[in-house]
Amino acid sequence: MKLPSPRSLRQKLLGMMLVTTLVALIVALAAIIGYDLNAYHRILVSDMTTQAELLGRTIAPALAFDDARVAKENLSLLRFRPLVNSAAIYNARGALFATYVRKDDPHAFPKLPEPDSARVEQGDLVLFKRIVSDGEILGTVYLRADYELFDRVYDYLGIAGVVLIAAMLVALLMSSWMQNIVTRPILAIAQVAREVVGQRDYSRRAVKMSADEVGTLVDSFNDMLTEIDRRTGELEASNAKLAREAEERGRAEREILRLNTELEERVRERTAQLEAANRELESFSYSVSHDLRAPLRAIDGFGQALLEDFPEHLPGDAKRYLSRIRASTQHMAQLIEDLLNLARVSRGPLERRTVDLGQVARQVVGELQQREPGRAVEVSVWDGMPIEADPHLLRVALENLIGNAWKFTTKSAKPRIEIGALKDRGRSTFFVRDNGAGFDMAYADKLFGAFQRLHSTAEYAGTGIGLATVQRIVHRHGGRIWAEGEVGKGAVFFFTLATAAEEPSGAGPVREKAHG
Amino acid sequence: MARLLRACALSIGVAAGVAAPRPAQADAQADEYRVKAAFLYKFGSYVEWPTGSFARADSPVTIGVMGADALADELAQIVAGRNVNGRPVLVRKLRPGDPIAGLHVLFIGRSDGRRLAEILAAARGQALLTVTESEEGLELGSMINFVVVEDKVRFDIAPPPSESSNLKISARLLGVARKVVSKSS
Repeated sequence: MKLPSPRSLRQKLLGMMLVTTLVALIVALAAIIGYDLNAYHRILVSDMTTQAELLGRTIAPALAFDDARVAKENLSLLRFRPLVNSAAIYNARGALFATYVRKDDPHAFPKLPEPDSARVEQGDLVLFKRIVSDGEILGTVYLRADYELFDRVYDYLGIAGVVLIAAMLVALLMSSWMQNIVTRPILAIAQVAREVVGQRDYSRRAVKMSADEVGTLVDSFNDMLTEIDRRTGELEASNAKLAREAEERGRAEREILRLNTELEERVRERTAQLEAANRELESFSYSVSHDLRAPLRAIDGFGQALLEDFPEHLPGDAKRYLSRIRASTQHMAQLIEDLLNLARVSRGPLERRTVDLGQVARQVVGELQQREPGRAVEVSVWDGMPIEADPHLLRVALENLIGNAWKFTTKSAKPRIEIGALKDRGRSTFFVRDNGAGFDMAYADKLFGAFQRLHSTAEYAGTGIGLATVQRIVHRHGGRIWAEGEVGKGAVFFFTLATAAEEPSGAGPVREKAHG
Repeated sequence: MARLLRACALSIGVAAGVAAPRPAQADAQADEYRVKAAFLYKFGSYVEWPTGSFARADSPVTIGVMGADALADELAQIVAGRNVNGRPVLVRKLRPGDPIAGLHVLFIGRSDGRRLAEILAAARGQALLTVTESEEGLELGSMINFVVVEDKVRFDIAPPPSESSNLKISARLLGVARKVVSKSS
């Protein structure tokens, strides 16, 4: 719906009153004019009828005694009635008897009289009236008079126009004065409302000027303002509280952030300290291990010398003891060697190269068979397994994995080892599978810890450092290693290596294992 | 309408003697009588008789016609079925010398002056409208006297003096008279 033009209440009220006045005036004027014109017509007709009757009575003797001259004289008295333009008398036979014409009346007289009638014809009132005496028709009077109804209509329209204008002016003045009574309180409210909206000042109040509906409106409006004022106050208080809370929260967050930063700083410090300590320890253990080897070699060497140089001087027990001493020193040397390997794996730069894993694996298997030619193990190595890795470390890892498989299949009926790779989305997962002793999956996470052994040394020889070394090598290559197995059925070791591009630290050593 | 008019015209035409054609000479005389008869009848409408002149409210107006039987016949035809002031009209033919008592209108035809004077003298003082057709009629005491002017029947009136007669002649009748004579008597 289209909104009406934005006029003020004052103008609307004024317009309403003026329209009402105008309509009332028009109706009243129309009624008055209508009544007056009707009355005019009736009075004129009645007047002219009376005139004709009088004329008839006056002229009756002239008609009776056939005196046209007298009749004409009688008719000429009509000159005192300026309204009558022409008149005529017809005798009983219907012939024109006498006539009267006011100057310049162009209308011709009717040829024959008509019965009593009055009608309007070409702006004139035409009237016929019979002259009756003693029940006899003596003749007929014909009158033609000015019918001024239309002139009166024009006059009235003029008067009505003037009256309308005057009345509307008066109504305009009156209504603009009187409407104040109604509009002033409403406009006052509107003013207050505008100010309230414009200045957001809800403490303002409209003044009550009357006890009518507008007064009620003022009361309601003021109540509403009070309510809004109250709610605004509450809202502002609540907002302030929220702002305060938000600020507090912000402060707390900043505090937490600061604490976090501090914490990180502290962690970094601690880590650095730990790394330094770790490095010192590694360096220490490396030195110790290195230095321990020389005395061990001396013990072993001299033990061997004793056995070889004085076999006949030594009793059987001494020889046996010496053999035990030698075995223990060799085991300890192996232990130290492994520890040094483990340390070495963590040290030094990583030199990646594309290597054929299968070829390295075959070399390792060849060495193992050479060492124990008596064992019949079915080994299958897949072809074409290129890998990007440090050749030396890869060899150490494979020596450990394949060595383990070789070792744990000694008690199998048909020992079998398989070395292969699974391609998954362009990434190779290598595996070393055997059908040896296997392990309990419950201990799968302990497999790769140093000195963690699932089998006794008596059952299977070993230092318990091999898988820890393998894991460290895989980690240094950014890869992952895991194992699956079942007691008595065998084990599978899987590992992946990241390519050089994938590894964020590039070819350098793993960070926490780095040596500067 | 036209038919009604024609009927009216016919009836009045008969009364005024315009209708039936007759030989030329006799025609002129007959027309004159016919007009005079009509006038005689119509005079009654313009005259007021004193209340004692009529026995009852519907007593007839009696018109005596003396020495003019042709006119009397015409008049009798005219008044048949007609009223004057609500009264029927009675026509009586009179011979000279007949009594004139009980008459309301008396027409005296042409006769010698002496006879006329006698009759009029006898009528004087009575509530009787006297009508003559002689030149000296009014001088001899008649109230209305017919004259013929330019082939038209007209009349002169000498209103009766109030002391000698209780008749009142309407001013409207005086209005159509050729002349109104004030008698000195």
